[in-house]
Amino acid sequence: MTAARTYFEDIVVDRVQLTPAITVTEAHVAMYQGLTREVPLESSDVPDVLPLCMAIGLGWRVKDPPMVVQAFVGLDWKVMKELRVGDTMHSRSRIVSKRALRDGGLVVDERTILDQHGEVVQQGKFTFLVAKRQKEASA
Amino acid sequence: MADPRRYFDEIELGEEYESPGRTVTEADVVMFAGLSGDYNVLHTDAEFMKTTIFGERIAHGLLCLAIQSGLFSRATAPYATLAFGGLRWKFKLPVKIGDTIRLRAKVIEKKDLDKPDRGLVTLERTILNQRDEIVQQGQTDLVVQKRS
Repeated sequence: MTAARTYFEDIVVDRVQLTPAITVTEAHVAMYQGLTREVPLESSDVPDVLPLCMAIGLGWRVKDPPMVVQAFVGLDWKVMKELRVGDTMHSRSRIVSKRALRDGGLVVDERTILDQHGEVVQQGKFTFLVAKRQKEASA
Repeated sequence: MADPRRYFDEIELGEEYESPGRTVTEADVVMFAGLSGDYNVLHTDAEFMKTTIFGERIAHGLLCLAIQSGLFSRATAPYATLAFGGLRWKFKLPVKIGDTIRLRAKVIEKKDLDKPDRGLVTLERTILNQRDEIVQQGQTDLVVQKRS
């Protein structure tokens, strides 16, 4: 049996999903800085792109089967508030739109990163190319 | 010691920088999967990826976006940045393990903000691979302090 997956046809516009939460630690920052060399701003202790990277991983930890993402197409992103070490973030996803292409389709997913107080830390839109079911079945 | 940071007033429209190259390794991809929790098969299943158009695992798009953020700090003197405003970004080509990427960045807009002590600097950033192909491209907004 193959694992359940969410294809383009299965995606429901306006569906909202919440991820589990994760506490951002010194260890995350140290690993991230070793990997990327991104330096946090003077006023902060968490580099700004790190919460975005962690949000995409959290996005796979929801109840729905994973989307069959063939490519990450684009990103439109805003940073509202700095996150600090010790803060606990989670993310909310809402499917804004879907558009069928010949092969697969484009799905726009609005992601919001919230902190432990429910305040919006970062927010934006991901565009994914998602596989259609038929193509997969006939491949 | 002199402040090495560059303030809004000193940054000129049209300035361009190019970073050193950075080879994206298997270790980078594995570490990023562990750090981000993104274990999508695109990045972690070598056997499955042999059956796709890519032929092999590809680096996470966000890994390369994060690497360019680090490359920016090796391309030019640091800005007196107060905040990162946001970005608009396109992932154009896959980056494979062993590819070498570098960043080209250009100041395309400078704007005053409501608060008089700061301004917005928009950079166009292009990530190129070893074949000079554009793999990612977009614009980033930085809130930068004014000197006066």
